[in-house]
Amino acid sequence: MILELDAVSHRYDDALAVEDVSFGVDSGALVGVVGPSGCGKTTLVRAIAGHLRPTAGRVRLRGRDVTDDPPESRRIGLVFQDPTLYPHMTVSENVAYGVAARDEGPERRNAVVEKYLELVGLADQRDASPRSLSGGQRRRVELARALAPEPDLLVLDEPLSALDRSLRTRLREEIARLHAETGVATLFVTHDQTDALALADRLVVMTQGRVAAIGAPRELYESPPTPFVASFLGRSTTIRGRLVTASPPRVAVGDAELTPAAAETGESVGATVTCHVRPRDLGVRLDDEGTAPDDSTPPQSLRGEVTAVADAGRRYDVSVAVAADETLVVEQTGAPPSVGESVVVDLPPGAVTLFDSDYEASPTPRRQSAAEAGTPPESRR
Amino acid sequence: MLLGGLLVVYVLVPFVVFLSRTGTAGVVAGLSEPGAQTAILNSLLTAPVSTAVATVSGVPLAYVLARRSFPGKRVVESLVVLPLVLPPVVGGAMLLTAVGRFTPIGGAAAAVGIPLTDSLLGVVLAQTFVAAPFVVVTARAGFGAIDERLERASRSLGYGPLATVRNVSLPLARGSILAGVVLTFARAIGEFGATMMVAYNPRTMPTRIWVDFITGGIDEIVPVAVALLVIAVLVLTAVQRVGHVPAVIDR
Repeated sequence: MILELDAVSHRYDDALAVEDVSFGVDSGALVGVVGPSGCGKTTLVRAIAGHLRPTAGRVRLRGRDVTDDPPESRRIGLVFQDPTLYPHMTVSENVAYGVAARDEGPERRNAVVEKYLELVGLADQRDASPRSLSGGQRRRVELARALAPEPDLLVLDEPLSALDRSLRTRLREEIARLHAETGVATLFVTHDQTDALALADRLVVMTQGRVAAIGAPRELYESPPTPFVASFLGRSTTIRGRLVTASPPRVAVGDAELTPAAAETGESVGATVTCHVRPRDLGVRLDDEGTAPDDSTPPQSLRGEVTAVADAGRRYDVSVAVAADETLVVEQTGAPPSVGESVVVDLPPGAVTLFDSDYEASPTPRRQSAAEAGTPPESRR
Repeated sequence: MLLGGLLVVYVLVPFVVFLSRTGTAGVVAGLSEPGAQTAILNSLLTAPVSTAVATVSGVPLAYVLARRSFPGKRVVESLVVLPLVLPPVVGGAMLLTAVGRFTPIGGAAAAVGIPLTDSLLGVVLAQTFVAAPFVVVTARAGFGAIDERLERASRSLGYGPLATVRNVSLPLARGSILAGVVLTFARAIGEFGATMMVAYNPRTMPTRIWVDFITGGIDEIVPVAVALLVIAVLVLTAVQRVGHVPAVIDR
């Protein structure tokens, strides 16, 4: 284990920024810490790097307790959201800065600087001033500077957030390549679920200073443990129903029944439970088309009436009222049905996830019909 | 535009009229007097020392004020700017009550042969008191303008707090510090009010100008005033040349 956080909490005056956070980063791993702005990610980064002493808990690097050690003795490479290259040094001087602190001889130092400038493809810019570089080049020099002293852990604090979309994708690939080539354990902190899902081997989802979930990105995306994780990692639509049987669970929604992808649930029969599905997994068809195309294994389906259709550019969001007060959102790429039409919503096997009623980690326990964090409501037509 | 121009004219007119009162011959003659030369020498000795003292202690203070919060910080900040709001004469009077010949400190220093009043040291004390705030205030603004993450990055790259200040903060705040040094020097070499109270003798250029004025009138003061002006302009230009940094840091 390279990095180990053990019940780390931090409080600024009255406000609790980070509460009881524990997770680890294995040697060679790329772990993503993801959560909305203000969830305590930056405080956590500062505690890991030693720029802040957490009010409680321990930080261990390679098994050694470094909680009380200053940043200069921690061997952590840091890359911030905004460039922190030194404007009074050249590109190669910037990269050499951390190497020189490790007291390497000048020859070895030059070799290391050259190696890392080549690694990020900027060897021909070694004598340039950081000011003369493009945004993407500056980012790469910063990565080289953080990697050159060969740190135990590389911490990237929102390194892509200040970049435009195309540069962002290229740099994301660059980070994946650098990680593959150097093998350095990396902690990638971001508020962007796309970056996190694309890069990380393991994800730590945070909200309100606490860990909401830890796991493999695909696992968390496909079977999120809480409504918050479900909505934060992708579009989510939820529906409530009454539990008919607990093991295996079956949920009654109106006249129909759903079978969530779970072996059992802790809820008691008769309780109201919340199911989650990804709008893109759902299909919608007009009710008068009879049964599903494949009669042998009819998919789970819910009948309802279209209440709204929103044009989201590349797709339509079709809202379907499937029971009293229960609306599902379905993503449709083809021509959508019109408002008021009776439709059938098909839910493929395994698409439905059942949440326990334990909403502690969720900032918004209220039910969301379609939650897409950070995007403005789309216009209805 | 118009108001700004008015201000420029307002400064320019007295300046030109004053300088046109006497020819170069009068200036040279006036400066060849031994009294004038001593005053120039004294000023050239004391003002750089005062500036150095103010810089060496003022820059660390500015850094601490820019970066740390501690109980009583407000009080320290008020103390730093106090000499700016105080009339220099009052500052000088306050200095006298602290280090005057009949106070414990002044008496003890005089007893071992280092008089703190009516000596070059007294001049330095007066100049430092009045001029030091300039370097503290400007350097503080310069340190404050540096993104703290540049310093954090340096720490994480393996440098302790002092090495980080030396390698990152000082070079990046250089322009502001130099601007503060220039202002402090200009204020120190022109210091009159506090100097007059603490060390009327030995004469510096400003006190000499005052003595010339009360004995001989306006025309008497032109030579030393011109010398003062020339020295100030020379030092200002030299520092800006050497520094070749604009007073405002662009990052």
